[in-house]
Amino acid sequence: MSRCTAAFLLLPAVTVIVILLAVPLLYLLGYGFLDTQYGQGQIEGVTLAHYRKVLSDPFFLRIFAKTLLLSALTTAVVSVFGYALAHFIWRQRRWRALFVSLAVSPLLVSIVVSSYGWMVILGNNGIINRMLLALGAANSPVKLIYTDAAIVVGLVHITLPFMILSILAALERIDEFLPEAASTLGANPIQVLRHVILPLALPGFAAGTTVVFCLSMSAYVTPAVLGGSGPNFITTLIYNEFITQLNWPVGAALASLLLLISLSIVFGYIHFMSRLNVGSAKAGT
Amino acid sequence: MKIAFNTAIALLIAFIVAPLLIVILVSFSGREIPEFPPSTWSLRWYGYALSQPVFVTSAINSAWLAVTATCISTPIALGAAMAIVRGQFAGKNLLQAALLSPLFVPAIVTSLAILLAFSSAGLRTVTLRLVAAHVLITLPYLVRTILASLTRLDLTVEEAARTLGASPIRTFWYVTLPLIRPGLTAGMLFAAIVSFDNVSVSLFLTTARTNTLPIATLNYVEYNFDPSIAAISTMLIAVTAVAALIMERTVGLRSVAGA
Repeated sequence: MSRCTAAFLLLPAVTVIVILLAVPLLYLLGYGFLDTQYGQGQIEGVTLAHYRKVLSDPFFLRIFAKTLLLSALTTAVVSVFGYALAHFIWRQRRWRALFVSLAVSPLLVSIVVSSYGWMVILGNNGIINRMLLALGAANSPVKLIYTDAAIVVGLVHITLPFMILSILAALERIDEFLPEAASTLGANPIQVLRHVILPLALPGFAAGTTVVFCLSMSAYVTPAVLGGSGPNFITTLIYNEFITQLNWPVGAALASLLLLISLSIVFGYIHFMSRLNVGSAKAGT
Repeated sequence: MKIAFNTAIALLIAFIVAPLLIVILVSFSGREIPEFPPSTWSLRWYGYALSQPVFVTSAINSAWLAVTATCISTPIALGAAMAIVRGQFAGKNLLQAALLSPLFVPAIVTSLAILLAFSSAGLRTVTLRLVAAHVLITLPYLVRTILASLTRLDLTVEEAARTLGASPIRTFWYVTLPLIRPGLTAGMLFAAIVSFDNVSVSLFLTTARTNTLPIATLNYVEYNFDPSIAAISTMLIAVTAVAALIMERTVGLRSVAGA
């Protein structure tokens, strides 16, 4: 294939990325510096006020802290659950395809559908509360839905498939005789797990935690449907600034911040992986 | 130890499938509020959901959008993937990363950026910005699955066709394309599902008049709790299950959904 043909074939895709992603994102980053109120108003110059407000307003800072905290908690829970399921699927022979399909099923269903499912489960008249009341464990319905805990439950559910697939991919690259060799040499199952399998699954954990944290932080439907009323997450805050407050520059500044945090995590991951590869290449020689 | 682990796995699988199973069962409930297990069974919520213009119109919009976006982004992704696999030029990794980059940008940020950029360019047609946004988000999935299919392809088959006198276009049409068809079909199906189910990218781009089904259902569950949403969800799950079965049979769900 000549260079000319390759360039011709690449042109439409590159145009889509530049015009529909790169330019709009740069415009968004710049929009947070514009001195204009209420979106459609006249642009009166450049200001740092919106970014200053976003980075100093205690109300905003509290929501940032909460978003990061709940996303970190989700990532921690998903790491444990995801490893257990990936390990189980890795050891499966006959029903492997079935379990993989079950594991990725949340990805194939709209988040609105699964959020509605959690509303039915966690609601005041929901399954868990009816069970608690029937067992006499509670006298009145326990508030489960519209809480931070409900947000974490919803986020764990939708991000779990990504962790399972990442860790499973890493586990499948492990030479199957390695764990066997370790146990022949006298390691007990816990030691095999700790000193052989887990270190080799590390790239899977790294990829999984990166994806899960970024997806949790930028989830909109889960906090909007399962979380408490009012802005409770960075995404619902952005929505509120844009749609309810009509303060477009502040919304743009918030969105820019979310973008920068996500991209720094992705670049951190790439850096970590390249160091890991250099490390293992050195260990191999 | 083994029993404890297997119990934990059973609980985790229950956790994964519980919301979906419960949605399906609740959709056949006869009561005004979702209850589980339903005390009376009926199909009334299916009738109700299908008689609501807001759901029917937005479902048609979403289906149209998914098909249009996939049909536009498939040839674009196919061209780019061919160039990356078969072309000889520097910076392929960077280019590939650029084509997958829509996956790394938070969807809500993409939505906002497109809204602002399109508004400032004077493009206020809702359909146009929705199609543009959905082409952008389906592109990386298609690029990824087509790249995977092309790299698995045996190059000598194409070379044989060329040696026997076929033009590059004939070779592509009669040799390459039929060989990657399973991967391509699965990728297109997954792209259409991604588009059809998308909420966050459409969030700022729809209006009350031109809405997508996920946004319409999201608005509905914020103020209503009746099982009509469960009925719609069950119909969606049924459609997706068929698509998932086709993907599993062609190239395997994992390679399409792969993180």
